[in-house]
Amino acid sequence: MDGNGRWAQRRSLPRTAGHRAAEATVIDIIEAARAAGVEWLSLYAFSTENWNRPGTEVDYLMRLVRRVVRKHAPLLLARGIRCRFLGAADPRLPRELAQDFDDLATLTAGNQGMTLTVAFDHGGRRDIVEAARSLIRNGIQADEVTERLFADHLPFPDTPDVDLVIRTSGEQRISNFMLWQVAYAEWVFPDVLWPDFRAPDFLTCLHTYRRRDRRFGGVPPQTNGDPA
Amino acid sequence: MTTGTTGTADETPLFASEPQFRAFFDDPRWALAIIRATVLEAAHPQVGAALADNSTFVAHPWRRLRNTFLSMRRMFDADPAVREREAARLNRLHARMSGSDTRGRSYDAMDRATRAWVVATLYESAVTMCRLSGQPLDQGTMERMYAEYRDFLAALDGDAGELPEDLNDFWRYFDRVVEDELENTEAARIILYRLFDHLPAPALLGGAPTLWAAGRAVVGPLLGAITVASLPEPYRRKAGLPEMPGAPTLMQGAYLAAGLTRFLPEDWIDAESIIETLSLSPDSDDPRARTATALRARMKRASALLRLLTPLSGDTDPDPVPPTSEAAEGRRSAEEFFRQVLDQTGDGHLDWPDLAAMARELATRLDLDEPEETRLYDAFAAWWRELQAALDTDGDGRVSADEYAAAVPSLAGPALIRVAEVLFDVTDKDGSGTVDADEHRALFRTAFHRDLTITDGTYDRSAFVGDFLSFMSGRRRNTGYDPLLADA
Repeated sequence: MDGNGRWAQRRSLPRTAGHRAAEATVIDIIEAARAAGVEWLSLYAFSTENWNRPGTEVDYLMRLVRRVVRKHAPLLLARGIRCRFLGAADPRLPRELAQDFDDLATLTAGNQGMTLTVAFDHGGRRDIVEAARSLIRNGIQADEVTERLFADHLPFPDTPDVDLVIRTSGEQRISNFMLWQVAYAEWVFPDVLWPDFRAPDFLTCLHTYRRRDRRFGGVPPQTNGDPA
Repeated sequence: MTTGTTGTADETPLFASEPQFRAFFDDPRWALAIIRATVLEAAHPQVGAALADNSTFVAHPWRRLRNTFLSMRRMFDADPAVREREAARLNRLHARMSGSDTRGRSYDAMDRATRAWVVATLYESAVTMCRLSGQPLDQGTMERMYAEYRDFLAALDGDAGELPEDLNDFWRYFDRVVEDELENTEAARIILYRLFDHLPAPALLGGAPTLWAAGRAVVGPLLGAITVASLPEPYRRKAGLPEMPGAPTLMQGAYLAAGLTRFLPEDWIDAESIIETLSLSPDSDDPRARTATALRARMKRASALLRLLTPLSGDTDPDPVPPTSEAAEGRRSAEEFFRQVLDQTGDGHLDWPDLAAMARELATRLDLDEPEETRLYDAFAAWWRELQAALDTDGDGRVSADEYAAAVPSLAGPALIRVAEVLFDVTDKDGSGTVDADEHRALFRTAFHRDLTITDGTYDRSAFVGDFLSFMSGRRRNTGYDPLLADA
């Protein structure tokens, strides 16, 4: 969800207007993903590094997110979307917002349609550290640790590996996003800014992904010569 | 008299024929009548003082209700040995309750006249409940029932001499006590005005505090108004209770509506299963707990939706959550522990009745006889002396929440360890040196939990003592002791 600030600057609006405009995109993309048959959708809403932004902008974001969550809760429930919040552990997080996150997750926990993971106050490295702590706390021997077991100790261990990451506004960085799960992800970097990103853009990204040749570190099926 | 209510029990089993009381047992009207009877009980200065000092009904009303119910069931068990044993247990329990009220008048839960009054309020409330719901009892039934109640008193006291033999004299006796002896006691005021407004959620609904509070805000004042309107007029005048327009109609409507449930199929309303279900705790391995857990999940969802739909109040100022390292480790704050566990009587102070209530709860769970019961009480009494010596810094004879919070670390003294050891001894009924699955179930009403340090399916002394100490002095949450001592 990049480009809110630039979107607003281009229109000579305050940065906060960009965040507000992002709300429409979020809802549009959730609908588009559901309609396209996507089963796991994750949105990177706020990183652990975003706390470094000016205090007023952070405050505004918190209030905005709270309003958005409450406004769309019935819709998300009705659409059968299971919502959950990855991260959201910082003490700076307003208590009311944390309560709303909990409530939305509780409310939609039984839904079986798409799973929407909102990475809020998320950092991929922190998740990995959490998993390591959990392994140690459970007294697991060093030799027993495998990739599978390690993944089971990450937050939300049922999350599958990420297939496709879409990063808007032309930025081409990982920015500490779900580091463990993106190991074999395909990346798409549309130039459009997040507030302008709409369902057709999303479908274009899906289309691009479909044409990619995913090899997971192996070799393409048809090669010239002997692969050995 | 905490358990005086217990008396409610139908003496019926004491009788050969189908007891009158039995018929009321699952009657929803009885719920209203029992509240009314309890207020009349509490308005008696002796009972009121005993209740205010000893009863856990403010802080742990649901546990108290369940205990009362089980005791009632035993009092009209078909087996006379069970009835005698329960009567003896009630007498021992009441013998431990005596003291003096705020005006220095002494009370004693074994006082015969007082106990007769408790039985009288139950009888009178049963009769009144029938009158108020428009189905008055005929003279013959009233007399039979009166005889049953007198027999009940006799089972407790040896004879029923304190209650008039003849029903006509009973009404004169009842009116005289209402006129002459009842007072506007603190206990009666608490029941009428505080209990229902602050009633904590039962274990079953513990997960839905919003829903519970919303329902309570409506039902609490209604129950208060209904009860006030059903009290005898002379008492309402004397205690300065409000006469609200419409309250008598409301009260009669409530009794009438409750009475209409007699047209429901039999077995639909079963007091026992209702009470048992309400006290189910989520960790229990009771098969019904699964259903309860499913129900609780739905209620949690409903209250989450309710909260999300509530319009935002303009001020959404960020209010950072204080770092709670204690919560993360499954510990309570000192203040929380004091309120949930130590202050059993809910009066804001820790004193002997609080610890006696813990001993009483443990003895009831384990169904102890003498001399084990006395051993347990003695251990708690020694712990109380230790606490008092260590914590009562202002010397007023009791420990306040602040005094406790200031001195928390020094809490695990030898007397507390002694309590843990005695508790282990009395729990380990077969003296095998370990608590086996059945003994564990008797105390905690649930099978071994996997986080217990169990080896070979048993629970040995050091692990038992360690868990008890970490609950009591480390304030750690514990799946066994939480439902036992902390739940409402």
